[in-house]
Amino acid sequence: MEYPQAVPLKYRIDPEACIYLQKGKCGVCQKKCPVDAVDFEQKPQTVNLNVGSVILAPGFEPFSPTGLENYQYARHPNVITSMEFERILSASGPTTGHVVRPSDNAEPEKIAWFQCVGSRDLNRCDNSYCSSVCCMYAIKEAVIAKEHVGESLDCSIFFMDMRTHGKEFERFYESARDRSGVRFVRSRVHTVTPVPDSDDLELRYVTEKGELKTEIFNMLVLSVGLQTSPELVELAQNLDIELTEGRFAATDAFSPVETSRPGIFVSGAFQGPKDIPQSVVDSSAASSAAGELLADVRNTRTKEKKIPPETEVTGDRPKIGVFICQCGTNIAGVVDVPQVVEYASALPYVELATDKLFACSQDAQESMSEMIREKGLNRIVVAACTPKTHEPLFQETLTDAGLNKYLFEMTNIRNQDSWVHKNNPELATEKAKDLVRMAVSKVSLQEPLEELELGVHPAAMVVGGGIAGMTAAKSFAAQGYETHLVERGDRLGGQARNIFHTAKGDSVSEKLEELIRSVESSDKIHVHMNTALKDVEGFVGNFKSLLSSNGNEKEVEHGVTVLATGAEAYKPDEYGYGTDDRIMTSLELDQKLKEDDPVIKGLNAAAFIQCVGSREPGRMYCSRLCCTHSVENALELKKRNPEMNVYVLYRDIRTYGEKEYLYRDARKTGVIFIRYSPDDKPVVKAGKDKITITATDHVLQMPVELEVDLVNLATAVIPYGDEKLANFFKVPMNEDGFFIEKHAKLGPSEFSTDGVYLCGLAHYPKPIDESIAQAKAAVSRAVTLLARKTVYSSGTIAQVDQQLCATCGVCVSICPYSAPSFAEEGRFAGKAEINPALCKGCGLCTASCRSGAIHLKGFDTDQIFSQIFGIDEAI
Amino acid sequence: MKNLLEHMGIEPERLHFSWISSAESTKFVDVATKVTEAAKSLENKEKKFVKTKPKVA
Amino acid sequence: MSDKNPKILSFLCNWCSYGAADLAGVSRMEYPSNIRVIRIPCTGRMSPKFILAALRQGADAVWVSG
Repeated sequence: MEYPQAVPLKYRIDPEACIYLQKGKCGVCQKKCPVDAVDFEQKPQTVNLNVGSVILAPGFEPFSPTGLENYQYARHPNVITSMEFERILSASGPTTGHVVRPSDNAEPEKIAWFQCVGSRDLNRCDNSYCSSVCCMYAIKEAVIAKEHVGESLDCSIFFMDMRTHGKEFERFYESARDRSGVRFVRSRVHTVTPVPDSDDLELRYVTEKGELKTEIFNMLVLSVGLQTSPELVELAQNLDIELTEGRFAATDAFSPVETSRPGIFVSGAFQGPKDIPQSVVDSSAASSAAGELLADVRNTRTKEKKIPPETEVTGDRPKIGVFICQCGTNIAGVVDVPQVVEYASALPYVELATDKLFACSQDAQESMSEMIREKGLNRIVVAACTPKTHEPLFQETLTDAGLNKYLFEMTNIRNQDSWVHKNNPELATEKAKDLVRMAVSKVSLQEPLEELELGVHPAAMVVGGGIAGMTAAKSFAAQGYETHLVERGDRLGGQARNIFHTAKGDSVSEKLEELIRSVESSDKIHVHMNTALKDVEGFVGNFKSLLSSNGNEKEVEHGVTVLATGAEAYKPDEYGYGTDDRIMTSLELDQKLKEDDPVIKGLNAAAFIQCVGSREPGRMYCSRLCCTHSVENALELKKRNPEMNVYVLYRDIRTYGEKEYLYRDARKTGVIFIRYSPDDKPVVKAGKDKITITATDHVLQMPVELEVDLVNLATAVIPYGDEKLANFFKVPMNEDGFFIEKHAKLGPSEFSTDGVYLCGLAHYPKPIDESIAQAKAAVSRAVTLLARKTVYSSGTIAQVDQQLCATCGVCVSICPYSAPSFAEEGRFAGKAEINPALCKGCGLCTASCRSGAIHLKGFDTDQIFSQIFGIDEAI
Repeated sequence: MKNLLEHMGIEPERLHFSWISSAESTKFVDVATKVTEAAKSLENKEKKFVKTKPKVA
Repeated sequence: MSDKNPKILSFLCNWCSYGAADLAGVSRMEYPSNIRVIRIPCTGRMSPKFILAALRQGADAVWVSG
């Protein structure tokens, strides 16, 4: 197995290391394997597949610093890459998470990280792009290292620009510096020399103030960049797709997951260096784009499964079947399985107890379902590995045998018994008996549970008519779903209307007009302009929204909802904004560039001030797109008038990924970059002829005065923070007003509320290409639900015994999913009821119900008590 | 909860709470060992389940 | 009942500690075998009654982990 997350999680033979394959002798594994799974005769085969589209997600390779002599990586054991350090931090790594250095396994006292190794560097490697992820992972590694070793560990990160442009990253950077005490040094270290007679390393670097310093560290971590492997470059050539300068798959800002060859899509780090959430967004977007092509043939090659009718067991005496898995020798090697079987067969209501070599194997499953039918078993206990991975498999066996799948209990005698007590077989066997007894007593109280089948209304609603919302609507329509696009204003297009160029230099307005036309002309998309959302009821698959437009109200039904409500530009009250026409925001400058305003022609000097309203107390996030935007407009000004003096006043330039080329080109064309610190902000004074900016130059360490004709303030992206909307769909917002997605890494385009999705600026500031990718991703996630036509609620949910309910309201207020409410009509009006579609089965209400009126099916109070009572016998 | 146990004459050391994420197997093992040890040391005491001092007059 | 082998009843959250316990197994770690696990959907399911019942039933200790 190459790594524990491998799919499928099975062992394979390494032909390089196998004695049998190399020398024709051995074959012990074949003789030992009890199920004859080892086959030495397997040969590579070529399989031809006919497909409608292809998605490339081949990933990246970490840059190898072997060739960088000055960092000593190849020669010194205590110089390692960030990937190697990642393994040292990992609990499943070679040191089980103990931070030690390779040379002597001693705990280090001082560790240094070097940023931009194999990134932003044309002199010593070919990668002039920024790898986007290294700043953040270095901070994370430093913080975790300090957690593992303790406060005393000295962690220093040597960097050029700190690029923490992801959601919640800026706050993490701040707390790493201020709370965890990670030291950040803005410097590129030029010499690393081993300290004689020790395993330490001496670093020589120049500080910001220009002083030469030497410092000794115990260990050095190189934050290596991401790059495309030579094999991938070859693959790209074979597939005839274009690559960028940095050898990533070339894409267009308006179709960020399409390669240059129609039908071939790309996602992840092969599209450009990026982090996990962005890769997850891409992969969903690519599947949506591929799905649009394949919409006509959807479900034409799927096979329907036949399910036998369910046997009625209510009121029958429990007849329990206990199956104990040997798991080869994994369990049987420690636990005395025959003894447990014998013990289990004597337990009350147990009809049959037997062991299986591998309970999860196909033949064992078949014999289980045969025994269920033959012996008329109506409750099943499987004692094997963990229910977290195998419960669904056994439940399927029950369903196939005509038994309700909730008449089942699994107990864990491998992961939590035989594997962890292998030196104590007797006690492990005792524990297995106890666990089986507890499971048997629980399962005898188990009742067949119903999974509520809910229809899915095959329509979508998209809130927000900006570029993200329109892209989502268009993608829904292309996949055959009716879509309601709700826009509160009177024009489609959102913020993109104000933007001049994308980072790749494409005109935004042309593409935007094209998109608006295709949305307006689609017969599947119903555009509701000047419309507000008045009320929303229902839940996943069955939303009913009340739309109000100029006093007219209309109700629409939809199965899913995408929130693409966007954001706006911050209007600052600093740097003299609003007092002088020559001081403007980025979007205002875009407008002037777009209209070719004569003002632009008359400029002799212009300045951009970055981070206006971003990365400040109260708004501690990076607005992600402003650095690229300003650098690009600086270049545009230079293009229109090469004689113009253009200044960019910044804190860190965050032109991540291949946007770094713009920064490089800007410096080449003579744009002057001046860094300022947030406690010494530039001062803007508008005079009659000129505007004077005073700032402290970081190279000269002296105040400089700039005389300019125009000041561009790169202001923050501010979400609308619409609480009413958030309440309608029961979705959360963070302290900045951005919506909080289901999972920061793995669920970036969906909410934890089923059936509600998000994309665009409402999630976090992002450029057009990323907004489009996320819109497609949200649609992709939503279509997995729409395509199913029905959804099933889980059977293990809470239910109210309304006769006992005292109407205290604790369940209504405590539920994180808003599942309980007071019934409005019927015999039990005023009593609590629980919506099975919203309930996640956490049991919070059950535990807090003071009347004992709420039952959590599958984990009901009497069942847990029966497990508790099960232990006394052992004592 | 621990106060309640104490009130009832049960050593609060018999009850343990912890928060462990699904990735923290090392921590799980640590806590499991500690919990067991705490229970063992209670077993080895001479008096068990004894209220040291009546709390209610 | 032997002095050396107290019985401990633990309530583990399906999503957190139960997963950690599984992973401990996968990593072949070892720990004392005194613990009996009851899997609960979430620590929110816990009720003081369970703890008291367990102690009354003779459990030597109770461990609740989310």
